[in-house]
Amino acid sequence: MAINLSSSNLATRENRLGSITGYVGDLHDLASQSRCGSLKGCGRCFSQSSTCLSGCALSQLGGIRDVAVIHHGPSGCSATASSQYVVTNQVAAKRGVVNKSVYIGTDMDENDTIFGSTEALLNIILEVNRRYQPKVIFVSSSCATGIIGEDIDSVVEEAKEQISVPVIAVHCEGFKSRIWATGFDISDHAVLSGIVKPPKEKRNTINFKNFFESARDEIKEMFKHFDLDPIFLYANATIEELEHLSESVATTCICGTLGNYLGNGLEEAYGVPYIRTINPLGIAGFETWLKEIGRVAGKLPQVLAYIEEQRSIYIPQIEEVKKELKGLKAVLGMGPGYTFEVSRVLNELGMEVVWALAWHYDKKYENGEVPPAMSYLLDNDINFEASVADQQNFEVMNILNKYQPDLYLSRHPGSTVWAIKQGIPAVYVADEYMIFGYKHTLEFAHTVLDTVRNRSFEQNLAKRVKLPYTDWWYQQEVGSFLEEAIS
Amino acid sequence: MSEVVENPRGGCVLAGINSVLGAIDRVCPIYHAGPGCCMQSTASDQGQSGNKSSCFVSSVSIPSTNMLEREVVFGGTQKLQSTIQGAIDIIDADAYFVLTGCTAGIIGDDIESITDQFKEEGHQVYPIDTPGFAGDSNLGYEVVWNTMINQVVEEPLKKEENLVNLFGIIPYHEPFWSGNLEEISRLLKKLGLKVNTFFTEHQNMEHIRTSSQAALNIILHPWIFKGPARKFEERFAVPSIRYPGLPIGASDTKRFLLMVGEALNLDDRLVNQVIEEEDDYVYHYLAQSIGTLSWKRFAVAADAGTALGITRYLANDYSFTPVLVVITEPIFRQEDKERIIAELTNLEYARPPKVVFASDQYEINKVLMEEEDLSLIIGSSNEEEVSSLKEVQFIVAAFPIKDRLIFNRAYAGYRGSLTLIEDLYDNL
Repeated sequence: MAINLSSSNLATRENRLGSITGYVGDLHDLASQSRCGSLKGCGRCFSQSSTCLSGCALSQLGGIRDVAVIHHGPSGCSATASSQYVVTNQVAAKRGVVNKSVYIGTDMDENDTIFGSTEALLNIILEVNRRYQPKVIFVSSSCATGIIGEDIDSVVEEAKEQISVPVIAVHCEGFKSRIWATGFDISDHAVLSGIVKPPKEKRNTINFKNFFESARDEIKEMFKHFDLDPIFLYANATIEELEHLSESVATTCICGTLGNYLGNGLEEAYGVPYIRTINPLGIAGFETWLKEIGRVAGKLPQVLAYIEEQRSIYIPQIEEVKKELKGLKAVLGMGPGYTFEVSRVLNELGMEVVWALAWHYDKKYENGEVPPAMSYLLDNDINFEASVADQQNFEVMNILNKYQPDLYLSRHPGSTVWAIKQGIPAVYVADEYMIFGYKHTLEFAHTVLDTVRNRSFEQNLAKRVKLPYTDWWYQQEVGSFLEEAIS
Repeated sequence: MSEVVENPRGGCVLAGINSVLGAIDRVCPIYHAGPGCCMQSTASDQGQSGNKSSCFVSSVSIPSTNMLEREVVFGGTQKLQSTIQGAIDIIDADAYFVLTGCTAGIIGDDIESITDQFKEEGHQVYPIDTPGFAGDSNLGYEVVWNTMINQVVEEPLKKEENLVNLFGIIPYHEPFWSGNLEEISRLLKKLGLKVNTFFTEHQNMEHIRTSSQAALNIILHPWIFKGPARKFEERFAVPSIRYPGLPIGASDTKRFLLMVGEALNLDDRLVNQVIEEEDDYVYHYLAQSIGTLSWKRFAVAADAGTALGITRYLANDYSFTPVLVVITEPIFRQEDKERIIAELTNLEYARPPKVVFASDQYEINKVLMEEEDLSLIIGSSNEEEVSSLKEVQFIVAAFPIKDRLIFNRAYAGYRGSLTLIEDLYDNL
């Protein structure tokens, strides 16, 4: 890939990574078609709500400390500002820092869609700078500004002449990609092109892309064994930390979908190695990942010693709980950065994955390779039925109804809600560190057991709630509404 | 006109429309919009309304055309047609409403021609051609009712003397909507009335279709529903009364019940008997807990309906001193602002508070910070920070509410006023 940091815009995942959102089959077929280049994603002639890439982009940027996000669009686009404030304040409070970032809507109305509002936007940028004195101002576009052709790049250029802090255009026209994870790339692009500076010296830091740094303390503690200091991104990160990302030993992430663009960008632009292993979930994932970090940082002996010590504590306990998990059947619905990783962990724990849904699928990553989570499953001859759907609740419900699994796992709360209404116990894998390392893998196993052992709420609720779906639909094939392949 | 709005409350008009439709039993919205519009608008109202969301379909289960570049360039009516057909096949709803996002609005897709085809085939599919940029969540409430009046409500076959329609309590945009509707409805039933709340007791499209048979519309809001009320009167001869905001507590609810009694010519003895019973119920409790709460100088930052109700109650019934009221939704008509100011000026027991109209969190925080002598702030989750900076007692009682779970909790009416006092105590 060639990351072009001189442009404020970047290509979508569809265009860069050949990503798709429509497929039904199994893992081996998905992989072999990806490898030989014959995989084409399908559209749907009927669909349910997807998600806007602006949510992924701006929640990432809004979590950075002391910045302003200006969401230039009608009021609905900035509607999640309140949630953003709550999350930002909570994760800041948890760490004991203060984050003064603000989220501004510009409340475009009908007149603005006809006559444009670039002049007003310039004044808004200046006013936001005056009011809050943020360290960086991100200015985002929306579907409405995109369609009427509002040129936010020029407005940003004009603003830059008048104020001293970086002003960065962020292109979030929701209609440009069916893959909301493109938003993660957009936020990384903004950081790479507008904030990160060339390295002056090497540091013993490791860039750690995550969501809310809930396992911050224990990971910092762990990395002390290897004389490394993690910089967690982007929640609570400071602009100064971001400026120095190019000076780190390596970049890693908790979710490949989330970390891919930044990792590759830093490697390409500044030679910071990007850790391209399976992710640190479960036993194999944690060990493979940590060894690679050890190798890159020149700390492999220390890593191996650490692994040995930790194994002796946790592996016996994990082996014990595996006996009780054996044979449980699971369906998953998550982003691809998690689906294929968590499938591997479930397999490792002795559970059976009967169907895995990925909210999208990247045929290859920026380096041209099939995503490592997928390669691992194939190399270990693990196969199961799989589909790709941007949430598409009706497909999830159809699958759950057919397979009646013991458990549904999702990283989206709206998705678990519907499984529970259908009587299927569900685990909402909310915290990105829920299955991290040995300790959390053990805790996760216990969570699964707690979830499947008492099903009183799910069963009683399902008896009383009438679901919206027709009987006809439950008798159809999952892929009935997929259209012919689109390129 | 574009302007700075820090941390805006609620969403665009789609959020309001979606919330209202989501509260009617067995109704399915269909978004003809970008891929994110449904989730954003669900998150903005239902997602910030005390952690409750609509039961039949919501967020990920709502059909959406997820318009992409192809639709922007070539038009999206074909995708809309197959999406409506799919929705009818897959989702067993009584009615489907097509909502339009900014994208569909700007490119000018003719959605009515598509919905007409389905109507001809006998399906209940209704267009709501109001794109997101047309306004905010509050407007969404009026847009839905205008749509209902124009397309759903039938000419009355007969009139029901004791049937009333309740308007002005906006589902989800008002986090206590179901509890408040239940309490108001309980009181009206005691007066011998049948109540269309439309959003509780599994009320559905049939109640909307026959709402023209009602004897009276009761609007519990200081400014919303002016247009729809006029249409109800003109087309179906249903008159309206407006009670400015939520009635909370003995004095306020008495005033409300007397107003209803007068409008419907109800038997005075019955009305007074109900008032006496309810009065006794409330004071029987209040008398058991005197002195548990100290006297407060308070500020309210909330939507007009909630702000008026809480201010009147605490000032007129509970001896607290109102200092500042911030009305947090944009209000465009001068007459509406005047009505709100009049309500806050004519308090029976207290001097009028300072009244500020502000939607921008920066301004809201500023006026609250500047008010020195406060001991209680009642607001939304957005005011939590400024309250903690000021180190004064704070309760979350208005939209948006992020950190409470609210099922049927009510602040309205007689029983609701007791809950409000309980909450004040819990939060000392």
